[in-house]
Amino acid sequence: MTTVVVHTWARDPGNALVRPDGTVEWRSTKLVPGEDDPAAVSVALGIASARDDELVAVTFGDADPSWALARGAARSVVVADASVDEDEAGVAALVAATVRSVDGVDVVVIGDSESHPGVAGTVAGLLGWPVVLGASTARWGDDGLEVARRVAEGVQTLAVAVPAVVAVRADQAESRAPGMKEQLAARKRPVQRVSVADLEVPATVAATLDSTRLPATQGARLFDGSPQEAARALVGALRSEGAVR
Amino acid sequence: MSAWVVLTRPEGAAAAVRAAAAGGAVTVLAVGPRELADAVASAGADEVLWLEPQPGFAIESCAPQVADLVAADSPQLVVGGVEPQVRALLGAVAARLGAAVLSEVSTVRADGMSFVLERAGLGGAVVQGVRTVGPVVALLAADEDEPVDGTAVGVRAAEAGATAPVRVVRTQAAATADGLGTALTVVSVGRGLRSRDDLAMVEQLAAALDAQIGCSMPVADDLGWVPKDHYVGRSGQQIGPRLYLALGISGAPQHLEGIRRAKVVVAVNSDPAAPIFRRADYGVVGDLYEVVPALLDALGH
Ligand SMILES: Cc1cc2nc3c(=O)[nH]c(=O)nc-3n(C[C@H](O)[C@H](O)[C@H](O)COP(=O)(O)OP(=O)(O)OC[C@H]3O[C@@H](n4cnc5c(N)ncnc54)[C@H](O)[C@@H]3O)c2cc1C
Repeated sequence: MTTVVVHTWARDPGNALVRPDGTVEWRSTKLVPGEDDPAAVSVALGIASARDDELVAVTFGDADPSWALARGAARSVVVADASVDEDEAGVAALVAATVRSVDGVDVVVIGDSESHPGVAGTVAGLLGWPVVLGASTARWGDDGLEVARRVAEGVQTLAVAVPAVVAVRADQAESRAPGMKEQLAARKRPVQRVSVADLEVPATVAATLDSTRLPATQGARLFDGSPQEAARALVGALRSEGAVR
Repeated sequence: MSAWVVLTRPEGAAAAVRAAAAGGAVTVLAVGPRELADAVASAGADEVLWLEPQPGFAIESCAPQVADLVAADSPQLVVGGVEPQVRALLGAVAARLGAAVLSEVSTVRADGMSFVLERAGLGGAVVQGVRTVGPVVALLAADEDEPVDGTAVGVRAAEAGATAPVRVVRTQAAATADGLGTALTVVSVGRGLRSRDDLAMVEQLAAALDAQIGCSMPVADDLGWVPKDHYVGRSGQQIGPRLYLALGISGAPQHLEGIRRAKVVVAVNSDPAAPIFRRADYGVVGDLYEVVPALLDALGH
């Protein structure tokens, strides 16, 4: 069976320029790896290698497939003409259709993105597979995958039968980026380019941007003056709010 | 027209019902123990339906049945929160309805045949109005903890249905730092602090405010100046104090995830462009080495 990791499926919000009128200009729409993607690849690699199978990376548009290949994926599938925007159901539909096009997939690992929290669950819904979101680790157990994740009550370990989707939340930044050797090896690994027309992407309801504005509260009320003046004014404000006695 | 709210926790139920009301009569589907359904019965919905996972199964196991129950009513609007469990359920619903999915939603308004949802875009830098025609699943931004005072409606138990194979193996209670989770005031320090010795000054301020000490991840993880169970953020403690005072903390999104529930946030930072000032209610642009002693003075210490 095949394990798939989905990576680099969103734009870099750092490339969005917010104009004074609240409209947004994307200086670049290039897709960049999400902050959870390194952790997702690492979890997926653990799952795949524990059963001696290859890890297949899936990505889109102008994403760099060698990013996952250098981190241990054996091959990559790129939906080259896919345009990925902020529509979460649309992204999920594209991901699910791409997964379906890869033979024998029974585990999909994807980053559980804070800024796109609706994607991973919808991917699972479209595939009709069970899902565990907010996962920190996953390994094979007696009944499929044992996935640990943090919830309000503590750390919960769940057993999920495959096929399944595991959505990973990173706990920290990647500790070690691939070195030159891994980068070179990545270039030799196969990259298969497919087109959206080759996939059966389910239709979703379109969401259109009607308006965009700056938030009503523009950040903190700042206290100026000398540190003493600022501190006194701050303590006064906090006292009148009842936040400080 | 009808709308549904799917929830797995009582927090934010009233806000979810209020948002859903734009879609017509509201059915709340409470997935979890009976107490959950009872707790949300007065959140303002027209009907509360209760579904409990089979013994040993996780909330996620209910996803196929939740999709069945919701889809049978063909609602145009489904609202929920952002906890991992509820997103698993909403994902199944969205797929079944072929719905649009929008996150960070704050308000929903009906406009003829369509809905206009306001959502925070780019981590809160903009507010977008998004129009959808057809079913939409809205993940609400924050779970506001407001009191509910509506009249309780009856709770109806849903009949057992399709189950997905997701079981609970074990749950280990969270290792919360002593008192940090329940503290009314937290004084938190970041990499703006230059040395471990300078922590004494911060501790003095914390004592003056009867506060617990928190910190950013690097202060605990990389520097080891504060115990690891005191760092705040997505990977650390998620807290909701009445007052959170951030000293020399830049306000990375991962840090801010830990203070979503904080009531009043104060930032002291030498960089006026530090993102923490966007989340903070009050701020002082300045050197914490000057501002902290001044605060101690102002507090009468
Ligand atoms: C997957 C992932 C998960 C993460 N999880 C967490 C998490 O749970 N919690 C967390 O905190 N971080 C987390 N991080 C790290 C996060 O991205 C930031 O790197 C971190 O929060 C920065 O800590 P800081 O604000 O203390 O340091 P910096 O970002 O270095 O900020 C220091 C601030 O101090 C100010 N400063 C400097 N000198 C002074 C002075 N004399 N007086 C006043 N101000 C001064 C500077 O202007 C600056 O704004 C995570 C990162 C990743 C990738």
